[in-house]
Amino acid sequence: MNTQAQLFCAWCGVGFLVLFSIGWWFIAGYIPPMSPALSAVEVAGFYQENTGLIRLGMVITMFSAALSAPWVAAIAVQLRRIEGEFPALTYALLVAGAVGVVVLVVPPMVWTTAAFRPERDAELIMLLNDFAWLFFVMTFSPFFIQNLVIGLAVFSDKSESPIFPRWVAYFNIWVAILLIPGGLITFFKTGPFAWDGILAFWLPFAVFFGWFVVMFPLLLKAIKQQAALARVE
Amino acid sequence: MTSADCFSAVERKVEIKPHVPGEVGVWVFILGDMLIFGLFFIVFVYYRGLNVELYSHSQATLNQNYGAINTLFLLASSWFVAMAVDDMRNKTVKLAPVFFPLAMLCGLGFGVVKIIEYREKISAGITITSNDFYMYYYIFTGLHFLHVLIGMGVLVFLWRRARFAATQADVRDGAVIEKDMVLIESGASYWHMVDLLWIVLFPLLYLLK
Repeated sequence: MNTQAQLFCAWCGVGFLVLFSIGWWFIAGYIPPMSPALSAVEVAGFYQENTGLIRLGMVITMFSAALSAPWVAAIAVQLRRIEGEFPALTYALLVAGAVGVVVLVVPPMVWTTAAFRPERDAELIMLLNDFAWLFFVMTFSPFFIQNLVIGLAVFSDKSESPIFPRWVAYFNIWVAILLIPGGLITFFKTGPFAWDGILAFWLPFAVFFGWFVVMFPLLLKAIKQQAALARVE
Repeated sequence: MTSADCFSAVERKVEIKPHVPGEVGVWVFILGDMLIFGLFFIVFVYYRGLNVELYSHSQATLNQNYGAINTLFLLASSWFVAMAVDDMRNKTVKLAPVFFPLAMLCGLGFGVVKIIEYREKISAGITITSNDFYMYYYIFTGLHFLHVLIGMGVLVFLWRRARFAATQADVRDGAVIEKDMVLIESGASYWHMVDLLWIVLFPLLYLLK
């Protein structure tokens, strides 16, 4: 049994949350999100005033994003236990999780590109800023699939002592659906469905955050249960 | 307290044990979903309050008949589902294999009316970006429509379980197995939620003065 390795991977999820929050939120100051309705000069001003903080924050954010890979792998190991020999949903989770890392890595690189030469044309800074925000908030699809396949796998668990309780399946599907409003930000510059809006940003953001908080103790429990079973055998 | 009192207290406790339809997990989803739609509605009413004139003006262009017909469709389908579930609790499964498809037919009717309505609006040049009211109109009804589509899948599943139970009715004296009943109730609860959301959505978008 590689319980230690699994626990390490699970804790990487916590590392992701903490480092991501530090880099993106507290250092670079992207929360609360800037309005998409800002003018090019205002957007460029944000990068000119906070150049150093954005650069530092994006290094940390970029690094933290990859920590979601071991986290997804730890969940995948438990799904694999449910699925057995032909783990299609587990593979789907791994692929979606890998793409998820890309979705989390690319925006910090684009934000830091904007902060790389803050003196350049304000229109160009705004272009980069738009690209990073749209990529970051709108790309819900890999996370949607990630949560959906976890839900489906937990549903398929017919064993006497299931690895995850069944409500976890409903919870994951609920989370998957809640990420969808992010896809609407391309239509709006103000209001609840803009990238700084309550329904397109704050709600999916809070739910995504909450998903880690709910899944983490359940994952630890599943890993420990697996270790206990291995000892009995 | 005598031991007899204790005993009767325990007995009472057993008697009043409430029945939660379906499995508990489905309520995580249903209550979570209703929470989110609740938030949607609060956001809508808040922004409407800031610009009542625009909202009332746009609302007047909606066809209330479509909304009302769709309300009837969903209420009828909920009734069919409720009757079908009740039927499956009974010894013989007779109505359920007919009532689930009837409920689906109502769901289909809802979808057809919805598409006609969307087509009318779009061909009149009204889209999601026309103004704030139509933004909410398209997004709320669109998300609800997504729920209806998922619900149709759920009803297909319920129908199949009902037909299976009907074939088994003679074999095991009609008793639908406990596990099946839990699944049926879970699916039915979801469909009632879809109905309930529309019943709030309809007055909010079409009728609110």
